[in-house]
Order: sequence, then structure tokens, then C-alpha cells
Amino acid sequence: MEFIIEEGKSLNNETSTLILPALSIGNVGQLAVDLLVSSTRAERIGYLDDPYILPCVGNDAYGPTPCGELALPLEAYDSRNNGVALVQQRSPVVKGMMVEFAKNLADFAVDTGMKHVVVLSSLEFMRLQKIDTSSGLQIYYLSSANADGTDDCCERLGWKKLQEYNPAQRTWKFLSTLAEGNVMQEDSLPFEDEPEDEDYYPSLPFAALFSCFKAKGIRVTCLLCYCSEGDNTPEAFSLAEETSKLLGLSLNNPHGEGGKWLIPFSWRTVYGPPPDTSMF
Amino acid sequence: MEDVLTELPPPSRFFQEDLDNFATPPLPLQSPSLLFSSPKPDQPLRPSLLVIALSSPSLYVLHHISSKTLIGSLLLPEIPFSGNSIEPSLGDKSCNIYALNEAENLTLLVLVQCPVSAERSNAVAKLLIGDQIIPERVLILDSVQSQNFRGKLAPDETYVFKLETSAERKGLDGNGCGGSSLLKGLDYFPSGSVLDGLAAALLARCQMRKIRGTLCVSWPRHGVPVVAMVKSLLQRNVLHGFDLSSIGDAKDKSSRFTSIKNYPFDSDMYT
Repeated sequence: MEFIIEEGKSLNNETSTLILPALSIGNVGQLAVDLLVSSTRAERIGYLDDPYILPCVGNDAYGPTPCGELALPLEAYDSRNNGVALVQQRSPVVKGMMVEFAKNLADFAVDTGMKHVVVLSSLEFMRLQKIDTSSGLQIYYLSSANADGTDDCCERLGWKKLQEYNPAQRTWKFLSTLAEGNVMQEDSLPFEDEPEDEDYYPSLPFAALFSCFKAKGIRVTCLLCYCSEGDNTPEAFSLAEETSKLLGLSLNNPHGEGGKWLIPFSWRTVYGPPPDTSMF
Repeated sequence: MEDVLTELPPPSRFFQEDLDNFATPPLPLQSPSLLFSSPKPDQPLRPSLLVIALSSPSLYVLHHISSKTLIGSLLLPEIPFSGNSIEPSLGDKSCNIYALNEAENLTLLVLVQCPVSAERSNAVAKLLIGDQIIPERVLILDSVQSQNFRGKLAPDETYVFKLETSAERKGLDGNGCGGSSLLKGLDYFPSGSVLDGLAAALLARCQMRKIRGTLCVSWPRHGVPVVAMVKSLLQRNVLHGFDLSSIGDAKDKSSRFTSIKNYPFDSDMYT
């Protein structure tokens, strides 16, 4: 992975926290990063060129009026006043190369001096064991702070540790081994029997990122929420809000359509154009 | 009416394998390569303009430029030669490279007439730009991908949009001097929609290598009006020294470049 810095730009020396999305159902992590980039008024400082990410291009995603600034698959942003960097991912990873991609991102984090990585992701609602509707959208987390995945900071924010994280479970162990580079990923899994429910969570992209950052000795916190596919912007707002609380982000935006959140210009058509009403 | 059971999911949603760390990766393929005719041109080639045609209308127009010279080809090991004709033909599965010389300016044309998968696009883009071919300026011609477009596209109207690299927008050449945009007056591709595949890989490579690059996408994918529009665009803005008026507007109804209904049905149900 090559980090290409735009002319005249640089990564602030004070920046030590990296926020990035994991590909997940409803694209929630990516939508949340969109909100954070837009609302922290982060400046794009460069691109990441990786052989495992599929190509895509578009017009400026943030606005206020897109004027042709190119949007590429993997972009790096810096919010200087918050001391955070953000990486936005706009396209999928080559099938079967997620762990390699995660390793490359972990190397990038090491090379740029990151001390803490926050991964934003969502989980499939059908997998939720126990539904608690009493307090709105519950945020779950997974942290490298303790061996069992817990983190006092996250607990104080009212988040729940992902119960399905078990570092001794076979697939979590295999993923950890891959992340540490102690075995080559020649086969999909070293188990011959059918995948079980416990094998599902470590198969997800956020788990690859978690394991690879942890293997590099970087503190990593995954923020997760359950959702179904549809209009997932509410989940994105929730994840962005909780990220903001965790990191104490400063969002200086006038109250508008999104309150303190500056809604990216590209969100106007994120779910396609409005239906044709001429037939009515 | 589309069958909801077999219909491809909308592009903003993932297949299960996209979210599986342990999905089986595709079989590794031999790297693509560039093959040049004899005598081998001096390398690297440094054209003032590299035009890469991906869309049917652009392929049609550029194929019919008679003054171009075949100088090489991009070889993809996964694309068989069987069925190709001896003389370059629009029906071939090929990726030929042609030279157009206008005074002292070398223009290279690449006619991409074979499918390049998304997974192969980065490798092909690296081969065409920045290694054996170092262009001053790049123009990529493709079609709007309706599945990735978030606006409305009427099948009986023609549209054309562009995307440019920062170097092109700022009008900078390698010496930092100003210059005008290659395709003036075209609207930018609307924000919220994306383009993927080889066209995206090529433009991204230009952006990251600080090369002046333009991606021009037209709609619809076939038809006489869009062929005429692309021809006019190229004549006005790009190939000033070449007379394209003798190139017909693809009125031959048997041509797959004219009729939308002749466009291959790309459903996985029918193989």
C-alpha cells in the first residue's frame, strides 16, 4: 500500500488517532466516516494506493457544491483541530484478500505514527441474540485494551462488549495467527466441518482489521451496531455520535438539516433519485 | 419485469463473499503485458496524448480513423485470440495500440475491445500509464454505468459528463504552466454517482501520478445519436488535425453499435 500525499499537504504531527470504516451490512461504517469527515471539516491530504481494493471514481462527495474534485477508493483526511486522521473506503476489497488488505492498513497506521485506531462497522440484525428495545440503538464494542476485549472507557459510555468475541475460539485464533503473519492464508479455513455460528463474527471485515491492528501493537477500538439493510443513515448518525463522544471531537457547524452534523452533498442521492411521480 | 429471485443486488449492497475474510480468492492470473511491433519503438513511449477507448461509440469512431498505425497490443492471458481476424476488426477481442502522428505530437490510441474485470483493472492501468507509456495527457472514453448512476437516464436522450484529475482541472502540465481543460464546457459527473472498472482505475492512476487526465462518459451505451456526439466531441476538442467527417454515424442496423436492442443480455441465467 502506497500513501500518496497531495502536493502542499502533510499529516499533522499531533495526529495520533485514526478512524476508518470496515465494510459491513448497510455500509454503515462508511456512511459514518462520511459524516465525520464532513462535520469535522477534515482536509483530504492524500490517497492510499492498494492492489487489493477495487477501483472507483466519482465527483467530490462532500461539497458544499461539488466542482469536480475527484473522489478515489481510499482517501486519507486530517482533522487538525481534533488530532484525528480518517480513512474513507468507497469500494470493496478483492474477494478473499481482506486480511491482506487489513495488514496493509495496519502497516500504514504504524508508518504514520498512529497510536489508536477506531474501526466503525455494523452487524447483521438477524444475528442479534437478545433484542433490547428499551434504550434505542445499542452500541457494541470490541477493544484491544484488555485480553477479553473489554475497555473501561467504552463501558462508561454505556456500550456493551461484543459477547461473541472469544479469543480462544478457533476462528478468532486462526485470524489472529494470520494477522501476526505466522501462517499463510492458502486455504479458507483449516477446519473441515461446516462453519458454525461462532465462526461468523471473526469472518467479518471488522474482525480482520481488529486482529491486524492488534498484531501491530496499536490500540484498536471497534464500534458496532446491529442493523438491517435499508436507509442506514440513522445508524450512521449514531455511530458517528458515539465516536465523537469517545474521542471528544469538536464539531463547529451551524444548526441545519443535520443539527451539528454537516450532511455530505453526495447523500442527496445516496439511495437513488426520487421516484417518477409523473405517472400519478 | 426483472425477476427478484435472480436479480443482481443493487451495487451499494454487498454479496456475502465481499464480507467474508475467508472467501476463496480468485485464481492468480499471469500478468498482462505490452507487445510492440517491429521495429520496437523507443521506450518508454512519451505521447503528448493517450486516448483510451472503452465505450462502443468511442471504439466505433476511433476504429474508423484510417490514418492510425498499429504499433502494439496489450495482452491479457485470460482472453483467447480465437475468433479474432487478421486485420483489426471491431468484432475482435483485443486491446490494440495505435499511433497517430500530428506534426511532432504523438497521439496514442488504445482500443479496449475485450472485457477487463474489476480485479484486473489496476494491473492493466499500471501497464498503460506510467511505465512503458508515459503520457503528458490522458483521455478515457467510457459509458455511464446505469447501475452506479444515482440520477435519471432517459434511454432516448444523450448525456455526456466528465471527471478530471487535479492536474487537468488546474491546467498544469509537467512544467507547472497553465493550460486549458481538454473537454471544455462539459458538466462534471454528478456527485453521489460513481464509475468503476478499468475507466476508474485509469483515471485514479492519473490522479495519483499527477498526470493530466480526463474521463468522459456518455449515455446511452449504443445508438446513432451517441456515436455522433462522441465523434463531434473528439473532432472539436481532441483530434483537431484529423478529419472525422468521413466516419459514418453507424447507421448500419446490423451493427451492435447502433441498436440498443442488440446489446448483449448480461444475465447470469443464460450462459
